[in-house]
This record gives sequence, C-alpha cells and structure tokens, in this order.
Amino acid sequence: MNQEQIEQYVAGNMGEAEALAFEEYCLANPEFARQVEYEQRLKAGLAQVASGSTAEFVRSEHPLTWSLAAAAGVLIALFAVFSIWNSGLHTPAPTIMAALSVTSPHADTSLRLALVRGSETVPALPKGLVRVEIVGLFDAGNMYSVALDRREQNQKIDTVATLNDQHPSSPMSLEVLIDSKQLRPGPYSLRVRKQASGEEALDFGFMKF
Amino acid sequence: MDFIPGGELSRRIRLGDVSAESELIRQFEPGLRVLLRRRTGGDYGLLQDLVQETLLIVIQRLRGDGIDDPQKLAAFAAQTARNLAIASLRKAERQKTDVDSEATDRNADPTQSVDRIASDLEAALAVRALLRELPQARDRLMLKRFYLDDHDKNLICQELDLSEAAFNQALSRARRRFRQILEERGFAKRDLLSLGL
Repeated sequence: MNQEQIEQYVAGNMGEAEALAFEEYCLANPEFARQVEYEQRLKAGLAQVASGSTAEFVRSEHPLTWSLAAAAGVLIALFAVFSIWNSGLHTPAPTIMAALSVTSPHADTSLRLALVRGSETVPALPKGLVRVEIVGLFDAGNMYSVALDRREQNQKIDTVATLNDQHPSSPMSLEVLIDSKQLRPGPYSLRVRKQASGEEALDFGFMKF
Repeated sequence: MDFIPGGELSRRIRLGDVSAESELIRQFEPGLRVLLRRRTGGDYGLLQDLVQETLLIVIQRLRGDGIDDPQKLAAFAAQTARNLAIASLRKAERQKTDVDSEATDRNADPTQSVDRIASDLEAALAVRALLRELPQARDRLMLKRFYLDDHDKNLICQELDLSEAAFNQALSRARRRFRQILEERGFAKRDLLSLGL
C-alpha cells in the first residue's frame, strides 16, 4: 500500500472491493492505519475551516501583525510563568487527585465512570477520599494523562489537577484517587488521554454536591 | 511493537491471556477507526461507540466460541465493524422516518449539536494552526484545491506553476506538520456523557 492509495481511499475514489482489501490491510498494520486516519482528519479539518469562509486559504501575509502578536504572546507567557512561580512559593497546593498505588491511603468510598452515549444522568462524587474507576478500553502498554477539569457556568474549563504517566490497572479500567472535600460543589470531568498519541481525550463527567 | 498474527492472538485470548486482549486492541483500534470514520459521517461519538462495540464483540467471541478461521481475525473484526455501522445507519434512518421533525427541532438537545460540531473542531483547530504557519499563499491554495476541490495533481501543478516534486514535497510537509500539531496539543474531546455504574 502507498500514499496514492491512501489518497484514493480518503477521497472516496477507490472501488468497493479494493476499499475492503485496503481496510483489512489497515487492521493488520496499525501504523499505516494511523497515517490514513491523519489524512482523513486533515481533509475533514480543511472542510470544516472552509465551511465558514475560504479567506484563510487566500489571505496575504502581514509580517508586522504577526510580529506584534508574537511579542504579545511572549509577554503573556512571561507573566504566566511569573504568576505560577510566585503562587508556588507561598502556598503549597493540597492534593486533590492522586495515582492509586500500594502505598495509597485507604479510600472511603468508590465511583465507577463509563461513557454511555445518550445518558441523561450525571453521576455524583461521594464524600471523602474516593477511589474512581474509569471504565473503557485502554492499551495496557501505554501511559495516560488524567486531568480533572471544573466546568464553569460560562463554559469556561478550569483544570484543577493533572496526573501524567498513569498505567491502566487492566485493559478495561484506570483508577485514581480524588479527595472530594478539596473540591467546590459543581460540575467536573475527568479528561483521559493516551500520551504520545494524537488520539482525542475522553471526558467522564460527574457532579460534586 | 511486533505484530502478532491473528491465530496466535485468538489462541492466547481463548486461554485467558489478558495481555493478548490488550494487544488485540492495540493492533486493531487504528484500523477500525479508519474503517468506521468513513462510515459515520463525522459523528465522533458514534465512531467511538462503534470502535468499542466492535472490540468488545471480537474479544467476547474469542473468549467463547472463537472464530472459524483464526488466521482471518482481521477480516472478522473488519466485517463486524461494517455490520455494526450498517445497523447503526439503518436505525438512524428508521428514526428519521418515524419522528415528527418539527417536534424534534423544537425539543432538540443543544448539547448534542454542539458536541457534533466539537467532533470536527479538533481537526479544524489544527488545520487553522497549520494554515497560519504556511508562509506561502500558494501552499494554502494547493491544500484547498487538492483536498476540497478534488482537483487532479497535474492540474494543480499547472495552475500554481509547480513541479510535481515541489507539489509532493509541500503536501508531505503539510501532512507531517498537521500530525505534529495534533500530537503536541492533544485536543480534548467532550462529546460523550458519562454514567456512574
């Protein structure tokens, strides 16, 4: 299989029998399949951008505008680094979320979270130290990052804790500890992402009352 | 990582080897995403559901009765995914003909449509970043002509006064950068609801 066939498949220009064989080849060659998926996403992304306006495809360059934007970006980044450094000096943050290990403190209670399309109920986080089991399909050979986001009413998302390099406890679950009393009441979500991959993160929402 | 043949994966899963199940997921998930992306019309939530459902069906089948020809495990998984996609499409068609469309519009769940848009937004954000980085208007136009207008490569080369080698090089650079942007940013997905079990 080669790039030309990827282009034909993604453009929908491949015959049915050839497309079926191409798909089976993808199943037997995961790295090749990833390459195809990026091509599919590039085409979909371009279509999405173009559906608003094609101005971005034909714009001319404005070096001065870009220089000003870059300078503003540097200033904002410096301010952010200073703020984080400054706050870190004075107040050590309490542990809101922790990885589960043999030395972890005993959890008071537990919560299982799974993605169910169309569900109308949102699970509630119990009180105390909660062992949260995230149910899904995980690749046990990979590491995952888990971010705890607070969802504000104005759609703003505030990440309150992040854990990197987490190993799933089985191909079907990944577990973390959350200290419920450290969280203000409101909607939250656990955002789980496979590290070192372009795969989308998955969100597992819950409420803290 | 090495590729493990279907026959060996089937045998190990039948014997209760959990690591073989992980390996099956690692090997088949990217291909299933390609196959199902083509059949789910940009609905990321449905794509995720069908990928998971396919893998669960295949694993459960291997844990139980097994399949007729374990060497053809990839073909079995691909056909399972296609069947699920067809069933899902039929279900959607039935729902379309059964519902009162005006009532549906009146009671539409706004989060559903937002989530649908969000499913494409990740790739769109990466494309926007890519377009901002491309120094020449010609390169941006080339992407549009190739991917959106489905113009033939030779025609694009003629129109933009490009050699075939320069065209391929620019296209390959754009693809690489797009992948890099997605990998660096790790865009978040927010299109599924969760349920406590």
